[in-house]
Amino acid sequence: MHGTLPRPLTALVFALALGAGLSAAQPVPVSARAYHVAQQPRRVTLAQGQLMSLRPSLGISDREAFVPVHAFTNAEGEAVVRLDHTFDGHRVVGSQAIAKVPLGGTIQTLTHHLQSNLRLAGEPTLSAEKATAIALRHLDPKGVMKDAPRVERVVFPSQFLGGVATIVDPETGRTVVDRKLTVLPKLAEPFVWAYEVKTRLQNEQDGLKQLTYYIDGRSGKILRVNDAIERQAVTPATGTGKGYYNGAVSIPTSLMLDGTYAMYDPTRGTLPNPNLQWFTPDESGWSATGLQAWYEQNDAEGNNTWMSYLFQGNTENSWGDGLPFTAYGSEGGANGQTSGVDAMYAMTATWDFYKNVLGLDGVDGKGTTIYAQVGMTGSWYRNNAAWDSWAMGLFLGTGTPGGYGSFTEFDVVAHEMTHGVTSTTAKFVNAAGYEEAGLNEATSDFFAQMAKAYASAEPGTTVPETGTDWRIGFKVGNGTPVRWMDKPSKDQRSADSWYDGLNYLDGHFSAGVLNRALYFLAHGASSTPGADDYSPYLPHGMKGIGNDKAARIWFKTVTERLYSGGVGQVTFLDAREQAIQVALQLYGESAGGYGMDSETSHAVENAFAAVNVGRAYGEGPRTQVRFADWRDHDWISRNHSSDIGYEHKQFLPIGETVRPRITVLNNPNTAVTWTLGGPSLYNGGSANKGGVINADGSWTTPFNLGWYAITATSQADPRQFAEGRCFLVNLDTDGDNEQDAVDLGCIAFSWYLTNGLNPAHSMFNAPWVDDSDVATFVDAMKATWWVK
Amino acid sequence: MRIRTLSLLSPALALLLGLACGGGSHSAPPPAAPAPNPAQGLTYTNPTGTGWRLVKDPSSTTTKIVLNLVGPAGLKTRGVGFNLQAPAGVTFAAFSDGLPIHDTGVYQLQTLGSTDPSEPLAITGGVKKGNLLSVGIYQKDRDQPAQDSGVALCQIALQFDAAAGLKAGTALALSIPKAKAIPEDIGAITDDLWTLDKKMRMTDLSIAVGTLTAN
Repeated sequence: MHGTLPRPLTALVFALALGAGLSAAQPVPVSARAYHVAQQPRRVTLAQGQLMSLRPSLGISDREAFVPVHAFTNAEGEAVVRLDHTFDGHRVVGSQAIAKVPLGGTIQTLTHHLQSNLRLAGEPTLSAEKATAIALRHLDPKGVMKDAPRVERVVFPSQFLGGVATIVDPETGRTVVDRKLTVLPKLAEPFVWAYEVKTRLQNEQDGLKQLTYYIDGRSGKILRVNDAIERQAVTPATGTGKGYYNGAVSIPTSLMLDGTYAMYDPTRGTLPNPNLQWFTPDESGWSATGLQAWYEQNDAEGNNTWMSYLFQGNTENSWGDGLPFTAYGSEGGANGQTSGVDAMYAMTATWDFYKNVLGLDGVDGKGTTIYAQVGMTGSWYRNNAAWDSWAMGLFLGTGTPGGYGSFTEFDVVAHEMTHGVTSTTAKFVNAAGYEEAGLNEATSDFFAQMAKAYASAEPGTTVPETGTDWRIGFKVGNGTPVRWMDKPSKDQRSADSWYDGLNYLDGHFSAGVLNRALYFLAHGASSTPGADDYSPYLPHGMKGIGNDKAARIWFKTVTERLYSGGVGQVTFLDAREQAIQVALQLYGESAGGYGMDSETSHAVENAFAAVNVGRAYGEGPRTQVRFADWRDHDWISRNHSSDIGYEHKQFLPIGETVRPRITVLNNPNTAVTWTLGGPSLYNGGSANKGGVINADGSWTTPFNLGWYAITATSQADPRQFAEGRCFLVNLDTDGDNEQDAVDLGCIAFSWYLTNGLNPAHSMFNAPWVDDSDVATFVDAMKATWWVK
Repeated sequence: MRIRTLSLLSPALALLLGLACGGGSHSAPPPAAPAPNPAQGLTYTNPTGTGWRLVKDPSSTTTKIVLNLVGPAGLKTRGVGFNLQAPAGVTFAAFSDGLPIHDTGVYQLQTLGSTDPSEPLAITGGVKKGNLLSVGIYQKDRDQPAQDSGVALCQIALQFDAAAGLKAGTALALSIPKAKAIPEDIGAITDDLWTLDKKMRMTDLSIAVGTLTAN
């Protein structure tokens, strides 16, 4: 075998939950499209000029600017431009504008994610090198780093400060504070100079990590930590493949310069892959540009050897044996090729779906090459699949004999590829604690179905009504899907509808809400109670608008109207409102289509209402149950205003009788029924359940510190409930078995000590004490023993 | 109308009228012992001594006794907390910020040089089950100097509870089962851990309380 390419590959980002997208009414003709694409650079300049002129009305000063960072031409021929907001030339974290520039007409700008009234004095006193050193000290790598850290000076809005992160202790099964990711700093100003430090680890000692740090440019405090995890031409060819999931299929290959074939498609992808371009092209004609399938080389026992290779050296251009993967140690052989065939087929179809239906060139709209690596083992990948946005690659596990099959089923591959779309546009945070994690995973699930529908018929420019099964990973799970979309709760873990506290679920399970809404939107909802597609939130059901319309509406919503910027600010309600706007834009009734009420926009309202996100068309306000936030303290409010780590959470003492705070809106009957625990305990979330609900509705808390879930259900409308989290803290810092105000003294004399103090002096059992502990203690006292 | 007016005469006046008409040969029944009057408020007598003590503040009224916590003059501390047990008939009043403890401005509750009005302050209080007041006020920033304790360090307030039906003259026992202060020397932030560990302690106090009576 020649041309083998040793590789140290990359890290993970999105764990399995698999998805794809679309755009406006109808794509423009090819010739017109070429014109629009050619006009894109000029339109980017126009967008920038328009936004610069809007600065005064946006509350933005002359020291600030807009810098284009991403652009693509959508199916209607509009240039969609994303522009970072800068201050004195430095990026403002989480602040971006989106502009759409049509041929003639008005430039549309979306500025709802912009930071305004930015005030910042002086310069950072910390050097970039020092900031990097601080990040690395926190990262504490045990092995060699995969890449040198990337550091950038930025402006950091204090509303994005980190918060309490939790993790399940593998030994006790209890939820504890994750000290590695918990950030409880103190900031007096709304904006500070900071350094963004991106790190990347991939080795046996550290596993796979991609942590991004924000370091205060003056104090050196950690403000936030995000856990992310060409040349010579060859001849395009078409290979014969035997896939396990897809059966006998044709796959794109290349006749290499040595006369053999490789799973390498130079016709899809115009920019090199950022990870593969490390490798030196060899005499085979291989390059980093062009869709391709690689395999991980394992030993006979299935242990990773940390070497990987392109599927190549095939003299017949005939690949795979169509059988389940078992050939550990021989991944490059016929049995191993089967996974490559399935992956290559699905990648190709999904690439074409995005390009031909939605007008998106590659997952990033720029034609950047992606690749799949099958045969992955190791604890991170064997029974999973992942998209790595750093590597722009898919990493697909072997599965386990007798358990899961190879993670190369069509919708698994399309799901992961769609993460490439969202990670270059909306940039959703993919972590429990954020509603948008569910939006992220559901978007991947939905477009996986749309890509599957596209592949089920003759290639065209619309999404057919055939080919969907609204299940993810059905064959990987040997007949039990990883997820259902029509009624997600069939997996006993996913949510069917929104409730206050949904964000506690892992994104793969909160995804159920959007999965079901998009299913209803495309397919419709039943009015028969008990049916899988019946929703009590929309008892009369609804008629679907079909795959094609649904796909175009959601694609445009995600790629043109939503932006998280990695700070977790997008909610299901945001998504609903933007989707309605897109429906009005694409399928309105007026001549121009934009802004007019229509059956399609009503369907969007109803589909979201059916999963309890907003009200149905024509419906009055719904009863809402909201768990009150722990935000009584001004300082906490200001320093953690957008920090989901504190949303819907209250701090209370252990072993005391308390009354959590709850709000019932839009109903004169505000009575609620309290129950211990909440849906997230059964749906993949992490919290504890304990204590006793007393006859008068009060709660006697258990004696253990940690997060506890508690649920309030409206007595007037039992469909409406809220799950809240209470962090039970032990106020007895002086160890005299009494929780009282005297204990605040131990916090005071430990304040801002970071080493060697008694962990009991921290409300979070952390090795430091700061104002968060003071505020927590005071709030817990107030919540429990407040003087009436 | 006249009869009704007479019926409202006080027992003392009635007795006086009877005596004025006296001297007759028939014997009158012995007067009944007067029932204790219902209490209308509280009186507080300060404790003696120069140690830690709760002293009545001049702003007190008949129904609300404001008490200043005063420590030994010359003793420097960084904060104090205590629990005060009160009987039925006395409740604890909240000050304007809702807390049952009032900062008199001696302890520096904000960080040195802080201009942030919303900075979390180490002052709190509440009333636990059994009518136990628990309060604490502390300096959290060790860069702030310790303060002389011989002045009013903080205030609490006792509220007369008319609904309790106390009789005038009832003695109301107050007790302080727990009190602690942060001493002056809790170590410098640059001290080694061993030194810090030895010095970072709260010291137990004994706070003298005066005599409280319903009147």
